[in-house]
Amino acid sequence: MKGYESTGIIHGKDIPWPSEKRLSQGPVVIIECVENIPCNPCVKVCPKEAISKTEITDLPDIDHEKCSGCALCVTECPGLAIFVVDCSYSETKCRITIPYEYLPRPNKGDTVHALDRKGDMVCEGEVVRVRESGKTLGVTLEVPREYARDVRGMRVIE
Amino acid sequence: MSEKRIREHPVLDFQRKDGFFFDFEGKQVLAYPGETIASALYAQGLQRFTESKLLKRPRGFFCAIGKCSSCIMRVNGVPHVRTCITPAREGMKVERHGAMPEFPDTTLPCPKVKEENIEVAVIGGGPAGLSAAIVAAENGADVHLFDENTNLGGQLVKQTHQFFGRYEEHAGTRGTDIGKDLAKRAEEAGVNIHTNSTVLGYYHKNKIAVDAGNRLEIYGCEGIVYATGAVENFLAFENNDLPGIYGAGGVQTLMNEYGVIPGDRVLMVGAGNVGLIVSYQLLQAGVDVVEVVEAMPTIGGYQVHASKLRRAGVPISTGHTVKKALGNEQVEGAVLHELDENWEPVTGTERTVECDIICIAVGLKPDNHFLRLAGCKMKYVRELGGMVPLRTETLETSVEGLFVAGDSAGIEEATVAILEGELTGAAVTEKIKGGSEKLLAVKKRARAGIEEMRKGPYGQRPLEGVRACTFEGVCPE
Amino acid sequence: MTTVVCRCEDITEDDILEAIRDGYREIEVIKRHLRLGMGPCQGKTCIPIIERIVARETGCKTQELDIPTARPPSRQVSFSLLAGDDRD
Ligand SMILES: Cc1cc2nc3c(=O)[nH]c(=O)nc-3n(C[C@H](O)[C@H](O)[C@H](O)COP(=O)(O)OP(=O)(O)OC[C@H]3O[C@@H](n4cnc5c(N)ncnc54)[C@H](O)[C@@H]3O)c2cc1C
Ligand code: FES
Repeated sequence: MKGYESTGIIHGKDIPWPSEKRLSQGPVVIIECVENIPCNPCVKVCPKEAISKTEITDLPDIDHEKCSGCALCVTECPGLAIFVVDCSYSETKCRITIPYEYLPRPNKGDTVHALDRKGDMVCEGEVVRVRESGKTLGVTLEVPREYARDVRGMRVIE
Repeated sequence: MSEKRIREHPVLDFQRKDGFFFDFEGKQVLAYPGETIASALYAQGLQRFTESKLLKRPRGFFCAIGKCSSCIMRVNGVPHVRTCITPAREGMKVERHGAMPEFPDTTLPCPKVKEENIEVAVIGGGPAGLSAAIVAAENGADVHLFDENTNLGGQLVKQTHQFFGRYEEHAGTRGTDIGKDLAKRAEEAGVNIHTNSTVLGYYHKNKIAVDAGNRLEIYGCEGIVYATGAVENFLAFENNDLPGIYGAGGVQTLMNEYGVIPGDRVLMVGAGNVGLIVSYQLLQAGVDVVEVVEAMPTIGGYQVHASKLRRAGVPISTGHTVKKALGNEQVEGAVLHELDENWEPVTGTERTVECDIICIAVGLKPDNHFLRLAGCKMKYVRELGGMVPLRTETLETSVEGLFVAGDSAGIEEATVAILEGELTGAAVTEKIKGGSEKLLAVKKRARAGIEEMRKGPYGQRPLEGVRACTFEGVCPE
Repeated sequence: MTTVVCRCEDITEDDILEAIRDGYREIEVIKRHLRLGMGPCQGKTCIPIIERIVARETGCKTQELDIPTARPPSRQVSFSLLAGDDRD
């Protein structure tokens, strides 16, 4: 039995992670989808054909080299399981784009609580970009670089 | 009493214009167009809708979709009205009457009975029924679709989340939008749509009786597609009838269709997809989900849905269930306990959580009453959620001309419901009007789509289930 | 202790356990004995629960249990709808 089957919490080792080289080159997609769900919007929406499936029930096959980090799939994934991580521009900081569908809406420049996969606060983050697609927001946070693998959620400070 | 209407929502837009009042036991209650009597009363904070027959226990509404009769009241003198599916109207007079109302003293108007022969009757306006009606109408059949609700779309109208499935079958789109789109297409295709029309029963041979509100209608049909969806399972635990204990479907309907939150702190029972999704929708509506409990050792729903909840800080406790609900007039909390591998409670693990709502999401079972009335040969198939009719590859039951599609044929998902609808729509048209290239193509495409959806680990269950009840040629005894 | 099985007719789990102890073992018979599932909802909520209870108490598999006969109407109907016969 995998841990997430009873907890709902994915671990880094459960998912494909891009190479250090690819991470240093620019934003790249992280897909936290492990269960062979019959579903394919991520495949259809990717302009670079970086995500593929032979059968609809396959796990998404990610070609990190082809991915441009555009984050279109972040707001398209019905499972809200896709993130984009950018570790390329600073020694100390990184950017993480996460899907968000709650109120209140975050605005560019806001400081928010950055959360891990368990909903615990990891650090504060700054909202650097908000893109809306069909009522789902793709929110890009800037956080300390060491949290690139941990931050997967956020909470607006009211 | 606190106002429970949702003002702002991240996904839904509740337009409330032209509010009006109706009379509830001498008090004026505000309602908006599109609201039901029950949703307007609940929005004002009413919890006790009726009382039980013998034990005189307080009862709240429960299913919110017209199935359980927990919400019955006297409306304009008529007792036993299901307030959860009856639209609120200006000036109407509503009162509680308990479980045993007096016979109305008014002389009731003598209604008309209408009888008509039609080609295809589609029963249920969810994704399956709408899709069947669209295909049949587009291929020249005279189609009548009946749904007991005011709004078409079935379960879809309450789904604020984006759907999984095939991109070609709307995956990535929100359920609410898929429902609206299908309803529009049905109208464009020339389907005769009968909303607020409840199908009451089946009579030999392929005749259906419909309660159209003010009159009884009898239709003789050449073909029927039955697609009324599913009924929710309930749980036996102490105090399980208190107001504040609702089915997940009821909570969803109240919240996403009528824009009314059920309460402030919810305990969710069941971590299948429905429990997980409704929990997420509660969070979106600004309601606190204190915990999700699941009796099984693992989470039944998709990991991605569970992960969304965990990221929002909601605990999920597997191997746990609810022992009893606390409170006298309404829910004030719940006692939980752990279960061992034999589903026996583990002593010493009891703990109390504070909540004002307990939401039950422990599975669905196919709605089959009508099929049993019609004399369809039925079989208990666990993988499909309960008693289902034996059927051919094109979903015709053992009663000739009666087809079944969607959750009534077996609990699956919306994509399959849509594809099964298309398949039965084509098959019933073929049967009545004769075959055509176009119908053959629809059938082929739908069957290929269904097959594709049932691949992979999540497809194994329904695939096995369907194998157990599909026959070729003559229906087995 | 009140664990309600049939909401319409106020039948509790204890009532059913007692009926099973008294020798009523088939769902159809328990239904007639207790009026279970004969209220306005026509067994939509309670029949699955009683299936589980009877299966547990009698050691039968759910598949092997009888299911009660379905009779019209599927929903409650007002007298006015039935009493009139003013055909077009
Ligand atoms: C919380 C939740 C989340 C879901 N999420 C997903 C998802 O992400 N992806 C996915 O693919 N699927 C999802 N589903 C499943 C999907 O919604 C259902 O499988 C699908 O709606 C079934 O379609 P249907 O047409 O068979 O039934 P329904 O949608 O239930 O429609 C049945 C219709 O029949 C009407 N009716 C019933 N009885 C009568 C009668 N006697 N007379 C007249 N009308 C009647 C009802 O009013 C209703 O409108 C979800 C379901 C739930 C509950
Ligand atoms: S019938 Fe109205 S709440 Fe169930």
